[in-house]
Amino acid sequence: MSGTPLDKIRNIGITAHIDAGKTTTTERILYYTGVSHKIGEVHDGNTTTDYMDQERERGITITSAAVTCEWKNHRINIIDTPGHIDFNIEVNRSLRVLDGAVFIIEGVAGVQPQSETNWRLADRYNVPRVIFINKLDRTGADFYRAFATLKEKLDIVALPLQLPIGIEDQFVGVIDLVEMKAIVWEGGELGAKFHDEAIPADLLEKAKEHRQILLDTALAVDDAGMEEYFDKGDVSVETLKRAIKTGTISGAFRPVLCGTAFKNKGVQPLLDAVLDYLPSPVDVPGIKVAAEEGEEEGDHQRRIKADPKAPFAGLAFKIINDKYGTLTFVRVYAGTLKSGDSVLNTTKGHKERIGRMFQMHADKRAEIKEVIAGDIAAFVGLKDTGTGDTLAAAEDPVILERMAFPVPVIDISVEPRTKEAVEKMTLALQKLAGEDPSLRLRTDQETGQTILSGMGELHLEIIIDRLKREYGVEANIGAPQVAYRETISRTHTETYTHKKQSGGSGQYAEVKIIFEPLDRNEGVVFENKVVGGAVPKEYIPAVEKGIKVQADTGVLAGFPTVDFKYTLVDGKYHDVDSSALAFEIAAKACFREGMKKANPIILEPIMDVEITTPQDHVGDVVGDLNRRRGMIQNQESSGSTIIVRAQVPLKEMFGYISNLRSMTKGRASFTMQFHHYDPVPRNIADEIMAKSA
Amino acid sequence: MRLRWARGRGTIETTTGPRASEWLGLDDAGNPIARVIHLEGPVQTEHGVFRAIALDQEAKLIRLLPLPPADGDWLAVIGGRVVGRAAAPLAAVRRAEAAL
Ligand SMILES: Nc1nc2c(ncn2[C@@H]2O[C@H](COP(=O)(O)OP(=O)(O)OP(=O)(O)O)[C@@H](O)[C@H]2O)c(=O)[nH]1
Ligand SMILES: [Mg+2]
Repeated sequence: MSGTPLDKIRNIGITAHIDAGKTTTTERILYYTGVSHKIGEVHDGNTTTDYMDQERERGITITSAAVTCEWKNHRINIIDTPGHIDFNIEVNRSLRVLDGAVFIIEGVAGVQPQSETNWRLADRYNVPRVIFINKLDRTGADFYRAFATLKEKLDIVALPLQLPIGIEDQFVGVIDLVEMKAIVWEGGELGAKFHDEAIPADLLEKAKEHRQILLDTALAVDDAGMEEYFDKGDVSVETLKRAIKTGTISGAFRPVLCGTAFKNKGVQPLLDAVLDYLPSPVDVPGIKVAAEEGEEEGDHQRRIKADPKAPFAGLAFKIINDKYGTLTFVRVYAGTLKSGDSVLNTTKGHKERIGRMFQMHADKRAEIKEVIAGDIAAFVGLKDTGTGDTLAAAEDPVILERMAFPVPVIDISVEPRTKEAVEKMTLALQKLAGEDPSLRLRTDQETGQTILSGMGELHLEIIIDRLKREYGVEANIGAPQVAYRETISRTHTETYTHKKQSGGSGQYAEVKIIFEPLDRNEGVVFENKVVGGAVPKEYIPAVEKGIKVQADTGVLAGFPTVDFKYTLVDGKYHDVDSSALAFEIAAKACFREGMKKANPIILEPIMDVEITTPQDHVGDVVGDLNRRRGMIQNQESSGSTIIVRAQVPLKEMFGYISNLRSMTKGRASFTMQFHHYDPVPRNIADEIMAKSA
Repeated sequence: MRLRWARGRGTIETTTGPRASEWLGLDDAGNPIARVIHLEGPVQTEHGVFRAIALDQEAKLIRLLPLPPADGDWLAVIGGRVVGRAAAPLAAVRRAEAAL
């Protein structure tokens, strides 16, 4: 059905806190839209989108899966994303390429920490959202309390389009405030059967009150609707839906629906809401072109509209290696592409030929011959295109707004069980890192060890498991370590001469480099200020390479060096004895010598930690956090539960869960995520250096 | 008392295009007897920076003290007197009608 008109396509994501019911909801959607003929359950390990062995065994989503379905003459491309913070990259890249999202929150707990993080991510990419309050069948569920957390935690104008009828095991359906009717599910047939009824008398007053709020809020973005209201004392369903769509896309308010995915109630109206209120590719302002060199990012940037006739532009957002080779998922923003066409990878500056193209249904695929603006497809046969790279037609070689990647904070060393497997392991890890930008791979220059950096223990555990299952490499791993970084705290200029000229062909290179500290997160910046060919042009890349390789192994304790600028200002060369290699060696040595004199320091990841604990244990929890060098940010009570927020160095958080459990008799829980890097205190720096020596 | 409401002068720019910033409540003879206006601000004038301002009948700036609550940037005005505030124009219209 590649003939679907653009305004009948929806590209949406489903995102939420862990276990809120994203996969369960997606599974219902696939059933009601006729894609699957039975409903899979997360606990039975047979859902469509959790198709990896690790997902099915653990009952969690690890990798985002794309599925396509049809509902009322529209095509909906859905990406089910994981909730666990270790796999946040999946949410990040999905939100980046989608036009809208269904945001699920739990009917018992309301907005949870991970919902908050994902909400901010969606804000960053301006993704229009509808909210689904799920699990209303559970004991303790309360629509109104969960609804209140939307305003409290997310500070948004949340606008109910539905109210629940009954709650917990009495939950039978919803009041539709747009059409002022009740929708009741009949039970049986897995929720496929439901009917309209009059609104129950005891809920009529409440429904009227909420409908007035709905009219007030929605019509505030639609003057013609206001006039219709003044004329007739009400507005048509069509007008109201139009106003809700306008406000949803602009973010003036966020519509709220509710139900229970597991008990099969509320999913069909949610699908209707996706069609009615979330934008099609032509309803969104278009993707921004990245700011040019030296230009501030902002609203003046050119936007590319979803036009199938325009020059091609697309963004690679996900890469999978499977038995058929490398699949590159691309969101097409403009133009039309046929298999066999050539495009430019404008991020890396080379040509790519498109081999075969597929539409993906979780782990199944259907071959297609062309893909047009607004759609998502997977390409086979790209040589060197990574996550976040732009593919564009040669006549308009744009680079699209880039993607932000999360920072990996945990390191482990990996070593294959057998010597023969070294090469196989390296290749496999390179492939896995190619799929996952939140996974980094490096070789320690001193020990020769392979070091993997990831988002958390679960993330790395899954990678090691995949290494074994998918690539047949059994590896021994070291204990998880904090991913420290090194940087410098003052500017220093170093000159280094590399000279070996005793007989035979010699080596000669001299470089003079200024090393300067940069602010956090600015990365490594190179500037070449050599004048008059003191270092010939052809050797400059060798200097860059030398620094890049050496910077992976910092001078204090061997951690990657970040946030500094190096400027090559001068040097010397020899007509016969100079070579690229000589300059690379000189640059490496210049780095080692120079950085030592630039007041090097060690940085450690500081985590945002949120602990939910019963009142009676707050004292213990806070005292313990203080001992862990934690800085308490705030405490908040909801009933007899207290939420403590603190910033704590990651180093102090290893094994925290068992400690917290024993401290609170298993009644407290916590989540954490990376916040920023900070210099470590002196005594700890000494400890780290002693260990690495 | 129910009035007939019509768009007044002035627009506000929103991400989805211009929107009326004033609604006039007309009596049976078609005379404006109530207004609902959107607060602007901050606005810099020669008399200083005004955080919350509105236009009077002659379209002169009037400064409002104390500042309105964060979610109340629509004012219901009758005869130059603010009789209510609301987050949405329709809700402000009801305030104005209730005050008549
Ligand atoms: N009672 C009840 N349980 C639900 C509901 N929706 C989901 N669940 C259960 O909650 C658990 C988690 O559901 P999932 O669908 O895997 O949640 P998820 O959001 O996909 O989780 P991750 O992908 O791991 O973040 C499963 O055991 C579901 O059966 C619901 O509406 N009511
Ligand atoms: Mg899931």
